[in-house]
Amino acid sequence: MRRSSELRALNIPIADELAKRSGSRPRVRPAECEPYAVAGVVPTLVFSPRTVAEASKIVTALAAEGASIAIRGAGTKSYRPPHPHALDVVLESSRCAGISNYTPADLTMTVAAGTPLHVVQETLRPYGQFFPVDPPFAAQTTIGGTLSAGSAGALRQRYGAPRDNVLGMRVCLGDGAIAFTGARVVKSVAGYDIPKLFVGASGTLGFIGEVTLKVAPLPRCEAGVAATFVRCEEACEAARRIAASPLLPMATTLHDGHTRRHIRALGSSSQPWTLLVRCGGSRSAVLRQQEGVIASMRACGAATIETLDADRLHFCWQDVVEAAGGAAYPADRTLVLAIGSLPTQVADVCASITALLPAAEITAHPATGIVYAHVPWPGAGDPSAPHERRLAERAARSLLEQFSAQGHHVKVLSAPVELGTLVAPLSQSAPVALMRRVKAALDPNGTFDPGRFVAGI
Amino acid sequence: MFDGLVQRLAAIVGPDHVTTAPGDLSNYQYDGSADSALPQVVVMPGSAEEVTAIVSACTAAGCPYVARGAGTGLSGGAVAEAGGAVIAMARLNRILEIDCANRLAIVEPGVVNAHISDAVRAHGLQFVPDPSSQAVCTIGGNLAENSGGLHCLAYGVTSHHVLGCEIVTPDGELVWLGGRAYDAPGYDLLGVFIGSEGTLGIATKVVVKLMPLQEDRRTLLAAFPTVEQASGAVSAIIASGIIPAALEMMDQLSTKAVEAYVNAGFPTDAGAVVIVELEGLRGTLEELVQDVQRICIAHGSREVRQARDEAERERIWLGRKSAFGAMGRLGSSYYVQDGVIPRTKLPEVVSEVAAIAERYGLLIANVFHAGDGNLHPLIVFDERTPGDYERTVAAGADILRACVRHGGSISGEHGIGIEKRDCMTLQFKAADLDLMARLRAAFNPRGLCNPGKLFPTSRRCGESARTVARGALAPEMVDAAGPAF
Repeated sequence: MRRSSELRALNIPIADELAKRSGSRPRVRPAECEPYAVAGVVPTLVFSPRTVAEASKIVTALAAEGASIAIRGAGTKSYRPPHPHALDVVLESSRCAGISNYTPADLTMTVAAGTPLHVVQETLRPYGQFFPVDPPFAAQTTIGGTLSAGSAGALRQRYGAPRDNVLGMRVCLGDGAIAFTGARVVKSVAGYDIPKLFVGASGTLGFIGEVTLKVAPLPRCEAGVAATFVRCEEACEAARRIAASPLLPMATTLHDGHTRRHIRALGSSSQPWTLLVRCGGSRSAVLRQQEGVIASMRACGAATIETLDADRLHFCWQDVVEAAGGAAYPADRTLVLAIGSLPTQVADVCASITALLPAAEITAHPATGIVYAHVPWPGAGDPSAPHERRLAERAARSLLEQFSAQGHHVKVLSAPVELGTLVAPLSQSAPVALMRRVKAALDPNGTFDPGRFVAGI
Repeated sequence: MFDGLVQRLAAIVGPDHVTTAPGDLSNYQYDGSADSALPQVVVMPGSAEEVTAIVSACTAAGCPYVARGAGTGLSGGAVAEAGGAVIAMARLNRILEIDCANRLAIVEPGVVNAHISDAVRAHGLQFVPDPSSQAVCTIGGNLAENSGGLHCLAYGVTSHHVLGCEIVTPDGELVWLGGRAYDAPGYDLLGVFIGSEGTLGIATKVVVKLMPLQEDRRTLLAAFPTVEQASGAVSAIIASGIIPAALEMMDQLSTKAVEAYVNAGFPTDAGAVVIVELEGLRGTLEELVQDVQRICIAHGSREVRQARDEAERERIWLGRKSAFGAMGRLGSSYYVQDGVIPRTKLPEVVSEVAAIAERYGLLIANVFHAGDGNLHPLIVFDERTPGDYERTVAAGADILRACVRHGGSISGEHGIGIEKRDCMTLQFKAADLDLMARLRAAFNPRGLCNPGKLFPTSRRCGESARTVARGALAPEMVDAAGPAF
């Protein structure tokens, strides 16, 4: 494989040659490429294809040069470890944007992958619909980035994850082959459900060009309930009772005192835990949901309970998804962990995190068993307390090992440069051999972000 | 052939659980489709470890194998077309764990779909996917076919309700895809495994999600002068933001046949009837019922009837579920087609189906999962009439062509299997099929795991019929099991 340094030395002639072959001129000057850095590593070339066909030409030409390619949307998740040592090419999707088909009564929308998620939501809203995901960085992220990261928000409780709401895709594989997979209708079992493979693949299997989404009607009414608790387990118990009832609220989030601070509409509280429930449906259903939610919270020992009207709920939710979801934390100075556990284990997971990393700020989705920890980390250039940093790093590593040994699904979503090699250990029964073969089948030359997926794939 | 394999299989599972007796083998030659083939051996494992050993023994002998649940599939997925071994999963039928606090259950693949909901109903929970064969079909088969059901419109299909599974890979490795918790690291191999029609491995344990039971439901029956008006009402209900638990449509030919057969109370002078089922919290459905009624009337419905009690509701659903069996009133045999279109294209496709019926001189009745645009045209034919079956298959292929032309799919829930493999080229280009072939090779490099399914042969769509379709089902069979429509 050609080294980045070689590409860099040759970048002008190669760029000319590639431009001729692919019909697309890359950025080549370091200053132009710097905004596309991945975890601080600046790529040698940056391509911005407009279509999947253009991406295919670029990939084909680059694969012949033995170059490696990192795919980028809005760049909100570029500190995902392991960080790259060097970076040949970034294929960024901002020009591959736009909505090509939307028929409200079919509940489907076909959209180019570089389209920002908020553009999709704004297009759907006048028709009383939305794409029912609320991933971290919802205000910045692209559709392709959301899907590639597989990031589900708390709306998974009612609507499922992004994987459950993707119907079809047009992709460019590692050898430049373009394929359509899935379907453009809400139900199909024709052929393998390969779109699910690309969701959560972090761009290591191919470039997603176009996606058909399954959209949902917005509930006619919405309202919320927020309660505070002294003990985390009480809040989790309330969340489980609500989730096991026929109330079917849209989403439930749990916040410690740190992450509550980001939710401006809630104000401060002297209680350590806040449980927020988003209700939605017909007017009478929302009232019933609120009643039932309040009853469960009370039965589980809530210290305070307040109801939220739709406006206040939406103001809260914006902060839950954006600030607490990532925007409040500088990526180069924050360690972000996501732990997939069972609803009954959420309180223990939170306690383990706080015990080992007391600075961690916690948001959880207690109905689906997901816990996010944002751990502020001093910058690499910060001379203060190197000893403490080493201790914290050791604590983070042992936390990951402990969670893996307990059977939780652990991911390091983002890490500062000095923790660039921090990855969670995989369980014994993980299908690593199968994953390697799937990678080799779809990206035979290892073109897309080699070594940056799980198990060094 | 496969020297010594039968002895090795007997050593793995015990001699009582292997058979090569012709009478036994013939019980395993069919599924619910028109295709059939005799396996050379049937083996019934009693544990995941035995499945692993069986797969390894078959692989060592170069013997093809196919896992089989209850055999209710409608596309030939469980038919051992290449001969070899049928691995019958019926003994792996234990519910291993029910975890109400975390709303999940761990079951073996031979557990009958309905038995899961039966086991958790007392806790106010259910397993949502409800294919019409749910009284007999098994969870392993549901996984293979990514089964839906009448209520998948609101709650999703099997892949939305499975958290993980333990599988035996075609390499003979026992691995977990997904798990009990969400967000397993790595590629979503669970997502591609579900719906892979048994070609990527054999599931040995399944973690299913459980959902709370709903408090209340209302069932409405609306009669329309024409299919076009009924379709307009269906689209308008969805566009209004209401996603009913079920939203079904039947044309006049279907309702007439059903009325003659079970007397469900369907108005037979209507061009189409629509069944709407709404679910939710007690005291909250009236608002939605009124909206649905208003929309139906605005689209020309002469009559919107609400089931007054459970008996009337059951009668409406009996009518819908008897549609296939009722075709026996119209001819000696029928062929169920399964295609999907964007639901707003329903009126156009329905008139194209009528034109196809006319062109081939065949009777075609239509039942639809209208809410998600899933058509089930029922083509009635007489297998004793020379050429009738061939024309039926050709007409079915033309219906699929119409679905694809309108941006749809050649299967919504019955699968590809043997039946539709040569129609895959209607929907997918060579590069699309190549991507699927690469994936299959990654899981199943020697191609011994359920060979011949899903991928096109050299035949054309509509000329691949090998055997005569099965005759119309007797009513008691429909009631007991029902075809998985």
